[in-house]
Amino acid sequence: MNLRTIDREAVPEMPNRLGIQGIEFIEYATNRPQALGQVLEAMGFRPVARHRSREVTLYRQGSMNLVVNANPDDARVSATVDGQAEISAVAFRVQDALKAHTRCIDLGAWSVASHAQAMELHIPAIHGPGGTRFYFVDRWQEFSIYDIDFKPIPTVDQHPIAVEGMSYFGLVQYIGAARSADWLSYYEHMFDFSVIPDEERFGILPKGKLMKSPCGQFLWQLIEPDPWMEADETPESLKRVGFGVQDVAQAVQTLKTNGVEFVESKQLHPEDRGALTRSALGSVSFELVHQSVKE
Amino acid sequence: MNLLDGYGMDTITMAGPLEAKLEAMKNVGFSQVMLMARDLVGHPGGVKAAVKAVQNSGLRPTGFQVLRDFEGLSGHLHAYKVDIAKAMLEMCAATGSKVLLACSSTSRHATEDLDLIAKDLKKLAMMAIPLGIKVAYEGLSWGRTVNEFTSSWDVVCRADCPNLGIGIDSFHIFAAKTSLDAIEDIDPDRIFLAQLSDFMWHETPSFEERMTTARTFRVFPGEGVHSDQLADLVLRLERIGYRGDYSFEVFNDDYQQLPLETVAERARKSATWLHQDVLHRSAPLPSWTSSPQRFAV
Repeated sequence: MNLRTIDREAVPEMPNRLGIQGIEFIEYATNRPQALGQVLEAMGFRPVARHRSREVTLYRQGSMNLVVNANPDDARVSATVDGQAEISAVAFRVQDALKAHTRCIDLGAWSVASHAQAMELHIPAIHGPGGTRFYFVDRWQEFSIYDIDFKPIPTVDQHPIAVEGMSYFGLVQYIGAARSADWLSYYEHMFDFSVIPDEERFGILPKGKLMKSPCGQFLWQLIEPDPWMEADETPESLKRVGFGVQDVAQAVQTLKTNGVEFVESKQLHPEDRGALTRSALGSVSFELVHQSVKE
Repeated sequence: MNLLDGYGMDTITMAGPLEAKLEAMKNVGFSQVMLMARDLVGHPGGVKAAVKAVQNSGLRPTGFQVLRDFEGLSGHLHAYKVDIAKAMLEMCAATGSKVLLACSSTSRHATEDLDLIAKDLKKLAMMAIPLGIKVAYEGLSWGRTVNEFTSSWDVVCRADCPNLGIGIDSFHIFAAKTSLDAIEDIDPDRIFLAQLSDFMWHETPSFEERMTTARTFRVFPGEGVHSDQLADLVLRLERIGYRGDYSFEVFNDDYQQLPLETVAERARKSATWLHQDVLHRSAPLPSWTSSPQRFAV
């Protein structure tokens, strides 16, 4: 009789072949960085540093780093329409950035050419949905990558605390019609994300398919257009960021005093499970999601 | 709803500039077109102008062809083919085509290991996902390892990727004399393209004969000696639930020197034969039948 504990329960070992350990930063592209900055500040982010060679600003609150890219030479910035800001990249913390990048390229990812200037960090990246990128960062424990490419803004607290302890909870990706299977397969294969059963949902916007990162630190939601939206040919994109927070009501109240407006309709309104901010600058909204256990 | 909506011609069938081909197809009532990379690259105005011509025609691209000898290579050969595949995928996406046709390898340098072939095709499919493209893998009847739809389906199953399916080409099935019974084993949702053509020879035993016939002397469905088989194939595809497009993959040296409208007219006749005589679908009802007045009587 075999009494090895491993056989007693079916505990699947989640593979994490890139060694993903959460999100290092999220990048927005916009040609109106000040306007986006105001939106971010209302959400509790503070500008803490500026890029040495490009028009790029680092915002931060708590554990969350957020980069605003307004570099006019970047095609992703010039492609933004009417000053609408878009999520242009997500950087994953990984065990070994070069290995992660090489593995993804071997599996069929498209590499992004680096534009790092002298003495700047070359952060390997692959193309994501639409015009977005996925970066791989491995030096997040021994030192801060921002110390190399960014100069701190003088007199500013480099580590502002987060509103009600908010942290990155996940991203929402809008995908084309009948494209869920493709993207589920892509993220499973590339990043070892795993599918969360349809019965299990978080927050107040449960639509589409939900995946979990192999480190368990963030979620990835894929949303197709509704069948009646036949003409919806909008390009695939990373639509919004979700913040995890223990006390949604308290966070909503704090953010409201900052001037953040929330969607408050009959169907969708702030409740204990979550809340959605009203779209700012035509495209930028954030989701709050109740998260009971904090890392 | 147009009678010809589910059928389309390939640009390879006709001679002349892209715009003239598109116009000839449109004029006889087709609403889709299977594009060839050469149409874009060989356009006097370049790829951008060719893409514009396709958009202006209003014809929907059935798919984009053709990526050759991609799978089973290693080292620098593999790296080279990945670059070629990327360029093909980018052109495919630029035209708005949702399907890239990839033919099974004929290369002596390629492995015969089906799992390695599947691995490479999975990589190709992954490359295609961010661009919103499906890959239709077709077994050439002179392919080195994969030369029947049964083996291309086997490889697709091994790769197990939702945007990787098979392309069916009637020519290769008849040339290789593959039994049509195996159609029933295929998931209809994973047939991303069905290319139809007939030919004039009863037998094509050698790879050389298959190649020459395939490249110079195919004819439209219903024009050759395999019409009954072709009808059988289409009916079987219908029976398993295939509802995708039928594209006429007709390489024919004679058609290359006929006026485009003559060739397009032959294609139209062929589509009508398939639609009415084979599939027994009725011609669309006149528009007044769908007006609300008929209920008021």
